[in-house]
Amino acid sequence: MAFAFKVVNREKKIEECTPLFEEDKYKKQREELLKLLEPLKEATETGLIVDEDKCVGCANCIVVCPVHVAEDPNGAGIGRGPTIENPILRLENGVVKVVNMHLCRRYGKNRILCVACRENCPSDAISFLEG
Amino acid sequence: MFTCPGCSCLCDDIVVKTEDGKISVRNACRRGAGIFLNHNLSRAKPKVNGKETDFDDALEKARELIQQSKSLAIYGLDTTTLEAQKLAIELAEKKEAFIDDNSSFCLGDFVEMILKGELPTATFDDVRDYAYVIVYWGVDPYHSLSRHLSRFSYYPRGKKRQRGYEEDRFLVVIDVRRTHTAMLCKKNAKFFQVRDDLELINAFNQVLDGKAPSIFPQDIPRVVKEMEKSDFNVIFGGLGLKYGLKGNYDMFKEFMGKLNARTNVYFIPAGCHPNMRGFNELMFEKTGSVNKYSFKDGKSSNDFAFYNLLKNDLIDTALVIGTDPLNSLPFEYAKKLAKINTIVVDPRVSFTSEIADVVLPSAISGVESGGTMVRADGVRVELKPVFEREINDEFILKKLLEVV
Amino acid sequence: MPLQFAKFLRKITATVVVGRSSFQVEAADKGKFSEEFVEKSAVAYMKEEFAKKNGFKEGDVVRLTRNGRSVNLRVAIADYAPDDGVFIPNSIYASYLADFDGFKRFEASLEPADGDVTKPEEIIQKMLK
Repeated sequence: MAFAFKVVNREKKIEECTPLFEEDKYKKQREELLKLLEPLKEATETGLIVDEDKCVGCANCIVVCPVHVAEDPNGAGIGRGPTIENPILRLENGVVKVVNMHLCRRYGKNRILCVACRENCPSDAISFLEG
Repeated sequence: MFTCPGCSCLCDDIVVKTEDGKISVRNACRRGAGIFLNHNLSRAKPKVNGKETDFDDALEKARELIQQSKSLAIYGLDTTTLEAQKLAIELAEKKEAFIDDNSSFCLGDFVEMILKGELPTATFDDVRDYAYVIVYWGVDPYHSLSRHLSRFSYYPRGKKRQRGYEEDRFLVVIDVRRTHTAMLCKKNAKFFQVRDDLELINAFNQVLDGKAPSIFPQDIPRVVKEMEKSDFNVIFGGLGLKYGLKGNYDMFKEFMGKLNARTNVYFIPAGCHPNMRGFNELMFEKTGSVNKYSFKDGKSSNDFAFYNLLKNDLIDTALVIGTDPLNSLPFEYAKKLAKINTIVVDPRVSFTSEIADVVLPSAISGVESGGTMVRADGVRVELKPVFEREINDEFILKKLLEVV
Repeated sequence: MPLQFAKFLRKITATVVVGRSSFQVEAADKGKFSEEFVEKSAVAYMKEEFAKKNGFKEGDVVRLTRNGRSVNLRVAIADYAPDDGVFIPNSIYASYLADFDGFKRFEASLEPADGDVTKPEEIIQKMLK
């Protein structure tokens, strides 16, 4: 179980489980596991995934973000497109993209489990991988 | 930075770049970004009687139809600039024609009340800076005005609203179903699911008269109390409110009056057309009415609403600019367009262009031509083109004006 | 479900609410005669409970009829649909059924349908008659 948590948290890679990859008898489980872990590829280090098919580009998440309010008070903080060069989230071609997850409060050792963006997305386009 | 012509938000913080022929758009919502990204898709081609031809041929035929017309109506115009709207109004006046836009079945009545001073109003910037209770009545901005809440109302910080939505705003959503916008009503918020808007107004009036309301016994008093906490509240009214009122505008004005006796509650229309308000303001300035106008009769009347002109077979030619009545008008009215001379001026293939006698392809305002538009709150916004085209609405209207 | 079985299910009266869908507007800008336009416009969104109660499921084709005019739409389950009916996006399909007495909300009969969803061309053809 400990290994599984570490894979989800990106501290370990699934490939480090050598028997899974080297032994034929685990072929089916390997395929299923790799399929299960597919969303992780899209998730950033904060475990944040945006489902672009659901996103209409309302930018609630961008404006409600407490980091954006603090770092960009005359841009995202007042509802405009972010004026800082590398915001956490930005509307690109009509949908929200994660640009710079390092700024997010969920990132790093002293992380806070902030959920402001997800809570204000009416179509549940934002999700977090809990791990 | 560019201005997006997608809706009446007219967001002016859009970044558009082209690199190696590929367009990228920042800060626009899905709908807005699509207008720039897909600007080359499904473009209208010049046509006469359904056959593709060259632009000059189509223009000549359009000029002929306008010249010969004994009873012309000009319709649409809510997606084009003030500059083009002025030319259309001039054309209607010279030809003693009818002129109308989508506001005759959309929010024209509310804009007229605002322009006449019968409803107190404010700007989006004021709302962002001062508004506490924010009401969305019969509108689902998540889909129709996507960045509305994040740019102007519930989410941005403001001069007197520094602490964010959890402490400094109170959201109210009134609708017949739990829309995406309604789903945001969590902590400092209330969602009213209503069947009858008149019943809701009556109930609010009961509370404002010091009595218990017939419905929502806790929620209505709570909302009134919240409004009284602040000297700035706003109601954004959409089509759901318009059709819910069933023409009882006096009742709505009385209700707004009662609210404003307690504290300031402003009204701003929440319609989706980018420059509907622009047309309404130009017409109001010129004629004292916002739409449904006959230059021959010198007045505005419900009889002169475009859909009624069609229904009652009062016109022989329709000049349809930047709108698709076969898509948006009820069938019984729209089908009449097939029986009269119809000229369509549009950047894209539309359903109406399929049955039109003449199709004149034009430029997409705000993407391929510049000008001024008026935001839903009455603030004028400048648009400049990203990919400029010579043939645009102003060019076409000037050519048509030459024959009258 | 076998074709003939559809006939035996009840025809019900449903509230139809018409409104904006950002995805549908995006599709309209890409092309009103495109498949994507039909996919995003010829849809009847309904709540899961309403669908179950009336024997509908995601992907079914249903017919909405009002004042002698019908359109075939595809069922999609959505929690933003009205409790007792369907939500359909603003488009030629809604305009075909509506009039100004019930422009954004009206009652219509709802029943399962055989065949495919209605195409805009079919509605335009009716206008030319």
